[in-house]
Amino acid sequence: MSRRVVVTGLGGVCATGANVAEFWANAKKGYCGISRRTLTAEEYSLTLPIAPIDGFETRIEGLGRDMTRADRFTQLAIAAADEAIADAGVDFASGLGARTAAIIGTGIGGQTTIEQGYVGMMRHGRRPHPLSILKFIPNAPSSWMSIRYGLNGPAFAISSACASGAHSIGVAADLIRAGAADAALAGASEAIMTYGALETWKAMHILSDELCRPFSKNRKGLVIGEGAGVLVLEDHAAAKRRGAKIYAELGGFGMNADGKDMINPAVEGAAGAMKLALSGVGSVDPAAVYINAHGTGTLLNDPTETKAIRATFGADADKVVVSSTKSMHGHLLGAAGAIEAIAALKALHEGVVPPTINYDEPDPACDLDYCPNEARARRIDLVISNSFAFGGLNAVLAFRRV
Amino acid sequence: MADIDAAMLDIIKGHAVGLTSGPTRDTLITDLGIDSFSIVEIVYEVEEKLGIEVPFNANENPLGDMKTVGDLIDAVKKLAGKE
Repeated sequence: MSRRVVVTGLGGVCATGANVAEFWANAKKGYCGISRRTLTAEEYSLTLPIAPIDGFETRIEGLGRDMTRADRFTQLAIAAADEAIADAGVDFASGLGARTAAIIGTGIGGQTTIEQGYVGMMRHGRRPHPLSILKFIPNAPSSWMSIRYGLNGPAFAISSACASGAHSIGVAADLIRAGAADAALAGASEAIMTYGALETWKAMHILSDELCRPFSKNRKGLVIGEGAGVLVLEDHAAAKRRGAKIYAELGGFGMNADGKDMINPAVEGAAGAMKLALSGVGSVDPAAVYINAHGTGTLLNDPTETKAIRATFGADADKVVVSSTKSMHGHLLGAAGAIEAIAALKALHEGVVPPTINYDEPDPACDLDYCPNEARARRIDLVISNSFAFGGLNAVLAFRRV
Repeated sequence: MADIDAAMLDIIKGHAVGLTSGPTRDTLITDLGIDSFSIVEIVYEVEEKLGIEVPFNANENPLGDMKTVGDLIDAVKKLAGKE
């Protein structure tokens, strides 16, 4: 495992940006993509705050005919992958495609297709569309990427709820380190803005009825978002040879399982994953560390994550800066780790910490520096992106300057 | 009979990305540019729009000896019991 893995391309789409440039500009501004919307299915409806992507429909035809026949979560993934590949300036046709992986996670898969199919079948006696399976299988984005870009390396989906994106990026990097691929498209996608899915989330009683306020005492819970994030990962030596722009090295990846509870997160598990990620990056000045927190804005996550950061950094925890960009783009669920890795990489690249917005009341149980409400310029040498999933699955990415 | 001709040409036209103009009875199936997705979709649309059941098994060669769009249309007519 002597190869080093670097990030050479970024692509993303979510409520606060149609692409990475817009997403990052809005992140620095503290722009909130959350609003109250009504989702309907036949005579049923539900009104709640969510962070949907507006206007994406107009881009679908431009993605080509194949994408007009794909579920929304695949369309979003392909839009992000097109952008990441263009950003990287990588040419898969030159032979690299034969050794390039496509590891794209999702928490759910093609929810829209499943729901429309069942409503039509159960309520109207309509037969499901014969391509439904191919639309909703969780590996649809990775398969379409292999077809679209001519990739023949390992390709599959990783599903670990809200850690799917971080797991996908970390595992893809491990594949390159292990020599199973020379490059990878890695990330995740999620699109579950349907009446049925949101009613199901609501049943868990953890959704906010207003904004998402991570680490703030008056936090009310999480807000569901949607989107996709894709990174181009390459072997460092090969990226250097072709003169690629290098955002950062994926220096550390930590993953583990709490092994305790399906809902409640555990400090030891989260801290253990962070320590594993940090063990890969060597010594680091805590005053130059930015942590893009899982920071869901739920009662349980935020103090648990705070304790885990303290357990990881000890007395240095007060020197690191933490923020949750979920306050702006909502919780992208399976894609959270992917879009947040992009926020962390842009922060590292520009030396700017994106804020935790909607923060207006300190909580004694959340006592770190959360970069409240306004972006902050700062020397950043290392960024950590935390993802802690339902089911107690943890994945932490650590990126450093090359 | 004419309505099946028109309906079939319309269904095929929606998938014939290989053609620059609309298909006719003489158009070769191999010229239509249809992919695996389109074959499944065409069968589905034929069943939905014409109300017939196509005994299509994807494990067999779905086209058999058929070569032209006209062969396809005739096969559908046969299924519809109109020939």
